[in-house]
Amino acid sequence: MNPTATRMQNDCANLRLPKVAKACVLLAAVCFDHADFGVADESSKPGETAPPVRFSAEDLDFYARQVEPLLKEHCLKCHGGGEKIRGGLRLTNRDAILKGGDLGPAVDLDKPADSLLLKAVNYRDGLEMPPTGKLPAEKIAVLTRWVERGLPMPSDSKSVADHDQPGPSPADRSYWAYQPIRRPKVPEVRNAGWVRNPVDAFILARLEAAGLEPAPEADRVTLIRRLFFDLLGLPPTPEEVDAFVRDPVPDAYERLVDELLARPQHGEKWARHWLDLVRFAETNGYERDGPKPNAWRFRDYVIRSFNADKPFDRFIREQLAGDELAHRWEQEGRDETDIAEAVIATGYYRLGLWDDEPVDLEMARFDGLDDIVATTCQVFLGMTMNCARCHDHKIDPLPQTDYYRFLAFFRDVPHFSLTRDVTSKFNQTDITPRARRVLYEAELNRRTQRIEELTRQLTEIEDEAIRKMPAEDQRAAEGVDRPQVVKKVPMFLAEPRRQEYERLLKDREALRKLPMPPREMALSINNCLVPPPPTHVLIRGNPHAKGPAVEPGYPAVLGFADPVLPTISPGARTAGRRLVLADWIASPDNPLTARVLVNRLWQHHFRRGIVASSNDFGKYGTKPTHPELLDWLADEFCRPADPSDAWRIKRIHRLLVTSSTYRMASRTRPELLQRDPDNELFSRFPMRRLTAEEIRDAMLAVSSKLNLRQFGPSIYPPIPREVLAGQSRPGEGWGTSSPEEASRRSVYVYVKRSLLLPILNQHDLADTDNSCPVRYTTTVPTQSLGMLNGAFTNEQAAHLADRLRREAPNDLAAQVRRALRLTTGREPNGREIADDLALIADLRDRHGISEAEALKWFCLMQLNANEFVYLD
Amino acid sequence: MTDSRQFCGRTRREFLWQAGGGFVATALAGLLDDAFFARQAVAADGITPFRNPLAPKPGHFPGKARSVIFLFMYGGPSQVDTFDYKPKLVELDGKTIPIKTFGRAGHRNEGRVVGPRFRFRQFGQCGKYVSEIFPHLGQCVDDIAFIHSMYAESPIHGSALLMMNCGRILSGHPSLGSWVTYGLGSENENLPGFVVMLDKTGGPISGPKNWSSGYMPAAYQGVILRADGTPIHDLEPPPGLTRDAQRRLLDRLRQKNEEHLTQRSFNSELAARIACYELAFKMQQHAPEAVDFSQETTKTLSLYGIDHPRTADFGRKCLLARRLVERGVRFIQIYSGGAHNDDNWDAHTDIVANHGKHAGNTDKPIAGLLQDLKQRGLLDSTLVVWGGEFGRQPTAEYAQGSGRDHNSYGFTVWLAGGGIKGGISYGATDELGNAAVEKRTHVKQLHATILHQLGLDPNRLTFFYGGLDQKLVGVEGAEPIREILA
Repeated sequence: MNPTATRMQNDCANLRLPKVAKACVLLAAVCFDHADFGVADESSKPGETAPPVRFSAEDLDFYARQVEPLLKEHCLKCHGGGEKIRGGLRLTNRDAILKGGDLGPAVDLDKPADSLLLKAVNYRDGLEMPPTGKLPAEKIAVLTRWVERGLPMPSDSKSVADHDQPGPSPADRSYWAYQPIRRPKVPEVRNAGWVRNPVDAFILARLEAAGLEPAPEADRVTLIRRLFFDLLGLPPTPEEVDAFVRDPVPDAYERLVDELLARPQHGEKWARHWLDLVRFAETNGYERDGPKPNAWRFRDYVIRSFNADKPFDRFIREQLAGDELAHRWEQEGRDETDIAEAVIATGYYRLGLWDDEPVDLEMARFDGLDDIVATTCQVFLGMTMNCARCHDHKIDPLPQTDYYRFLAFFRDVPHFSLTRDVTSKFNQTDITPRARRVLYEAELNRRTQRIEELTRQLTEIEDEAIRKMPAEDQRAAEGVDRPQVVKKVPMFLAEPRRQEYERLLKDREALRKLPMPPREMALSINNCLVPPPPTHVLIRGNPHAKGPAVEPGYPAVLGFADPVLPTISPGARTAGRRLVLADWIASPDNPLTARVLVNRLWQHHFRRGIVASSNDFGKYGTKPTHPELLDWLADEFCRPADPSDAWRIKRIHRLLVTSSTYRMASRTRPELLQRDPDNELFSRFPMRRLTAEEIRDAMLAVSSKLNLRQFGPSIYPPIPREVLAGQSRPGEGWGTSSPEEASRRSVYVYVKRSLLLPILNQHDLADTDNSCPVRYTTTVPTQSLGMLNGAFTNEQAAHLADRLRREAPNDLAAQVRRALRLTTGREPNGREIADDLALIADLRDRHGISEAEALKWFCLMQLNANEFVYLD
Repeated sequence: MTDSRQFCGRTRREFLWQAGGGFVATALAGLLDDAFFARQAVAADGITPFRNPLAPKPGHFPGKARSVIFLFMYGGPSQVDTFDYKPKLVELDGKTIPIKTFGRAGHRNEGRVVGPRFRFRQFGQCGKYVSEIFPHLGQCVDDIAFIHSMYAESPIHGSALLMMNCGRILSGHPSLGSWVTYGLGSENENLPGFVVMLDKTGGPISGPKNWSSGYMPAAYQGVILRADGTPIHDLEPPPGLTRDAQRRLLDRLRQKNEEHLTQRSFNSELAARIACYELAFKMQQHAPEAVDFSQETTKTLSLYGIDHPRTADFGRKCLLARRLVERGVRFIQIYSGGAHNDDNWDAHTDIVANHGKHAGNTDKPIAGLLQDLKQRGLLDSTLVVWGGEFGRQPTAEYAQGSGRDHNSYGFTVWLAGGGIKGGISYGATDELGNAAVEKRTHVKQLHATILHQLGLDPNRLTFFYGGLDQKLVGVEGAEPIREILA
């Protein structure tokens, strides 16, 4: 049985190995050719087929009568000439067999018994063919004889086509996303008055070419609500709306944007987008779904980074190589906060799934590395490199070697933990500030000395007592059983010696139990593998089938020179490779990094990226709707006129949200809808539903319960018992938080892979097992049930009703008006208020509900309104 | 290949949408015909009205089964103590023999044989040997196809549960029930299409990951249903709000939302959300009706063992399953066993106590379910599946006792109804019942069989995600077990 082999089949194994048949297979075939014919011809090129061999009539008869029927019955369905060829192996002609499949030549004529084919039919070495059950012994004997006779077969069938392995073709290299970023000319437009910044020129040029006009500018209430949710993830208060609507200053809008970008809540909103991408979770998944200690520090790091407008290139370097930066910065005497931040950033590597009880540890290690390769390539480069783990990428020019060359950069990253312990020396780093570390060490020192002193005194008394004990106890006390003997010590002591002994004992115990001054630990990478183990291409992704060794390298199609790796000096803490990779990614010369990031910024402001498949800029992804705009933004991002602006994300936010494009109304005329049904040209602003976090946070905000306290360990809002019942140990891994703590923003809610807060889960929270570039927007009845009947919405409705009574006492109409303003921002009209008042009156008069209760139900309804949950 | 529009027959539009490009969760692809796509594409534009992602849709071909009831024997029932009769073990009982096993305790090369602790006897026309712990199920063997040659990829609960439920030992993939409701929708919009009933002791290891929709929209995840009290979480209006008062509230909400919609009729999501409140309201009415057994006869209740304390709990779930099938629910999963250790079939220390208990709790209810479905003419269109995440070893786990460790090398599942041949046994383990040797059947073939019976081609049911047309049965695909199909 070989679970590994089966597993690979079940994953995305491409058993046809398109143009792959990687060098490894070819080399194996060549070696075999030499062995077979004893022609050690050095000039032999990989892939050359064997010269024809002649077999006796008797041999061929044996094949025709005994072997061929057997192959037809048991093998050729999968290893014949048909559609499905498994494992790249064809048994239809001799050359094909000698060339072999993904695992190498199927037959070794020199050592017939070592032939993979015979191993497979004998179910040896993890190979099992046919998979439906072992052949009867007599059939295995036929195949064995066939191989021993030198594989006689008629030579009428054609040799399989050669697998060639050329480098990337010019066509591959010319793909748009692999071209260097060059700033395009800002297009000329007729309606120049509409253009506030170059973004608008690019959008308008396309609209004008299509004969379309942009939608008119949205009103100020709509704009401030849009800006609040897009930049902060929270609704504006009615007072903030009024202040903006009445603001007479010409640049009121721009000033509002700057103010919002400077608020601490901005980082909380945008951190969430990043956390989706880097599959942030605070547990490991699988059976125990145990905690990732100190994962919250990574979340705080991301929030701080966005708030501080940390340049994106530094943000990349810290996450991919923060430990290496930290070592460098320590030597440079840099500020220790920076050093701690860089260490915390490497939590990036620790956020994925980790199985504490893997079926195959070696496979589990490579699953961990695959998670890193997949995430890094999709998130930073928009490349689906993960498709090339077992075979060449099916559509993008990424050969399997590229995958393993990329993986080699991460080869010094140790596995999360090698035991079932969630805490390991590989995943935690002490980041206690120096001032406190000194205290800690002093305290530790003091205590150790005191304990030693107490122990010395205790031993003295113990020895005294032991000398009075029976001989066998005295003997026992000399060995490992001393602790047993020591228990009897008090019985052999006279007062006050006994009292003294017990006092000393108590003192020592108390000292041992006394908590130490806290240390700050970070989820991170630590104790890297130096020197890193060699990296091999793994045949069909199987870690037990190593192909040729590879060195770290960039995807070949991008045409960069091979990286220059640092030599590993004695005592080095890392291999130094990850910083090399990070520098390459965080470079304006990298064609993908800046494009991919500005596209994400666009995506979250305009609901869909310029490239809609924002984690995949490859051929399987979508083409950019506005390629020039994408390039202009990318260039403006990484090569701005003022170099100190380089990689600054807030600048791009400002550029996007101050554009006329962003300020368009979402409503449109039917004829425009027909002309641009998908809004591919961005002829209007796209409406969007609030995200899961925004829905919960907005409810808390309008109910006045939102607690804006920032940072720190995650919170546990209550989860109903019915939901906890789904766990094998209901409630396990979910703590309790005070009502105030439980009312903090959703970004601080504990992210447990196997247990999600219902209000968030119902509104399409990101799945944390993989990078999530785009969230779904699902609309199903069970969601409505949760919104109508769920505990959370009902509690917030009650709080909102209380707030209304507080803020507009004894005036029901004013309370309704206030509720509408809080939930929609706009001034309600008289008819709306009258209808809502009629509802409250009806509930009171016809349904026997008190007015206070009726107000609560009205609030519940208002929190369910489309206008509250959707953004214009 | 140069025209990416044609890649795998998908247009760019389709992709855009599957990439979740911000549209409504009607992200259905792969199996759907062009006409369906054309309609949906318009929906994505926001012009045509809402389509419930769970609305019924035709499969690839007419399927024999309309619904599935998956009886999940969590913990891993021992094949040699239930349906895989191995007389050889009797003579070897207590002897230490060389044998390759792999379980929680790791790889071993020898072990002490624990003979079957229960007597077997023959049942039915087919003469199937069944353990004495299943006296009622024994009566049903002529309707059952036993697969004795199952194997899986992990003998560890967490990953093995994921494999049986989601097709992979790695987390993050949609479950079988999600694939089925994604492929076929559900016939009753007043009830969830994919429901899960848990054991009273708790959920299985990894909990909701076992009925997760993985990378698919959350619309396809399983909904926990209870056979007593309020069947669905958040189904009941909050205390103090009568149904009539709630209706009044919803009327005002609807009015409000429709006013909001008049200016934004281009956005179909808004209409969808209005429709969902109406569906939710109907669900509140219909779901309790489904769990109301007051119209069931005493005879029926007794058939399921509801009149006996020991079998009442599982019996209620089985009866509820039948009632859900009658109401068009697509996929129903019932867990026997929950939580940890002997609360489920995980018999590490005492096979007699453990399997005696769990079989005793479920034997009559399951037999009752099969008989009831049959007498009502529902068995032909209802596929019943019985099995756990793996089986158990023929040897002992510890020096003492009859406990057995996990075993994914060979185990038994059975299927009945939904176009499955009855009274047959397919495949075999070795003479000790340790490893599948004849007609070895991977979990994905079981999945392929289930999909096939529902009218879905397992190799064409795809969902584009992560740069790949994902399938439940993996990229390489799997064929249904044709020999057990009627």
